[in-house]
Amino acid sequence: MERHAYAKAGEYTLADLMTVAAGREVMDNEVVFAGTGMPMIAIMLAQKTHAPNLKLIFEAGTFDGRSSFTPTSVGDPRCEGGASRASGLCEAFAIAQRGYVDLGFLGGSEVDEYGNVNTTVIGDYLNPDLRLTGSGGNPDINSFARRTVFIMVHEARRFTRNVSYITSPGWRVKKWPSGEWVHRRELYGRAFRGGPSAVISTAGVFRFDDVTGRMYLDSYHPGKTPEEIRGLCQFDLDVSRTSGETAPPTYEELHIIHEVLDREEIFLPKPKRP
Amino acid sequence: MMSSRSKRITLKEAAEIVRDGTLLTFSGFTIWRRPCALVFELIRQKRRNLHLVEVNGGPHSEFLIGAGCVDVWESCWIGHELYGKFGANLSRKVKNKEIICEDYSHAEMGFRFLAAASGMPFLPTQTSLGTDIHNPEYDMLGRAGLRDGKNPRIARKKYETMKDPFFGDGEQVLVPAARVEVAVLSVQQVGEEGTVRIGGQFFTDPEICRAADTTIVVAEEIVPEETLRREPRLNDIPGFQVDHIVECAYGAHPTGMFGHYDVDGDFIRNFYMQTRTQEGFDEFAREWIFGLDHDAYLSKLGVGRLLNLQANRALNFSTRVKRGHK
Repeated sequence: MERHAYAKAGEYTLADLMTVAAGREVMDNEVVFAGTGMPMIAIMLAQKTHAPNLKLIFEAGTFDGRSSFTPTSVGDPRCEGGASRASGLCEAFAIAQRGYVDLGFLGGSEVDEYGNVNTTVIGDYLNPDLRLTGSGGNPDINSFARRTVFIMVHEARRFTRNVSYITSPGWRVKKWPSGEWVHRRELYGRAFRGGPSAVISTAGVFRFDDVTGRMYLDSYHPGKTPEEIRGLCQFDLDVSRTSGETAPPTYEELHIIHEVLDREEIFLPKPKRP
Repeated sequence: MMSSRSKRITLKEAAEIVRDGTLLTFSGFTIWRRPCALVFELIRQKRRNLHLVEVNGGPHSEFLIGAGCVDVWESCWIGHELYGKFGANLSRKVKNKEIICEDYSHAEMGFRFLAAASGMPFLPTQTSLGTDIHNPEYDMLGRAGLRDGKNPRIARKKYETMKDPFFGDGEQVLVPAARVEVAVLSVQQVGEEGTVRIGGQFFTDPEICRAADTTIVVAEEIVPEETLRREPRLNDIPGFQVDHIVECAYGAHPTGMFGHYDVDGDFIRNFYMQTRTQEGFDEFAREWIFGLDHDAYLSKLGVGRLLNLQANRALNFSTRVKRGHK
């Protein structure tokens, strides 16, 4: 097998595909802010392939870690292997607010067409059906970084017209106290650096129009169709700019994910052999 | 803050310092370095009406909330990382309106403690603009009538906004200092006079320690001060900022302690699964909290389990603990 060749259907999982797609969002030399979970594998994959000079920041306070052991969360001692500095959260967020962070990886329970994300409650905030984890650093990283990438499960109830609660700011946001909708650039003024640049879901990869801030389908995962994905969004998804199928993992990427980074199958169970 | 007499107290005495209604905070980060042994003791002593102000929550918050000790939880996140999707006890009590939950962002919570730690009434930030965290309708302490100034530790507003008057940098959010009464820290080492040496990331421990009026440090070991004072750059908190010290091995279990023991993922996952209902929580508390003290709790866990969690002293985490499917 040629190591740069694309793996075939059945040789990789959906989670592998999403991890690889996430890793490809990283550019070399960038400062990348990581939360817990699959993004840690995606970033470390990028570090071992096309972005060897990326600098990884963990929210709990570790800077430029080069660990040989995959952490299970950002407070984990495994974050600190080979790091330039281990400190704390105020420093991590001060660095982010200062403008050092190029890219952040985040998650979400619901997203709207402008990239506003909810991780706080399902239902009315004052009478919620379900209280979730809350924001964590999601809005902070999303306010401070130049680009953010969201990793999400794709269901129609999650790609919604109106999120129950705006935990993390998208391209059109609410200006308080009136709650009037304005473009993010207007609200953030000179602190504006960027915003959500991609959503990687279990169905495809989505991006946002530079001017309107509206979401469009960039690529659909193998086995999905643009029309099917349109049906999985409560808002009117633009599928006219689709570039094609999401590129599958290469054999080399699969090897790094499963034999180097996540041997213990913490985040990414191995594909079942036929 | 005291200096001359011994700072050493027992876990039970430490819990007695946290009275009903205290504004309280804890060390650590999500599932790392949480003072769970002291939290269990608070539950045994049936502490009530606590107001937790936390940079982020975790299993320890869920223990206290499930046991009905908490009236107000002010923070940004609660869950168990890989071992439980969210805080099931908080979630249940929010739905039943048995607890007041005030949301800030993670950076805002950090900056609130940094402000309090520096003697500032507030700090400006530009995080989270445009989100519902700043929705004026969602000031939950205000809605509950708790921002009337009667409690001087509770800010009269959830936040304020203003335009930067110096550089024209636009809209700023001013977040109020987190003026807590008591901070409880769980750390690796403390000296007889209170000097704290933390292993690994210190998270927000130096800030929460200075923010509080009273600080209790629960350490894996109390060591002679002079051993810490040989290399002061390795220390994180000077002793005069610490009021009481407690020696308690495995005091953070089931959360992890850099260099000492790993997170007990099975314990946390079982807790999360079992305590989706109040009945499940009560059963958990009968088994693991009531009728035990810390020594009995460790005996119940057993030597094999604790050895499995024990950190490799070169790597600072356990190489034996099973983390994934393999």
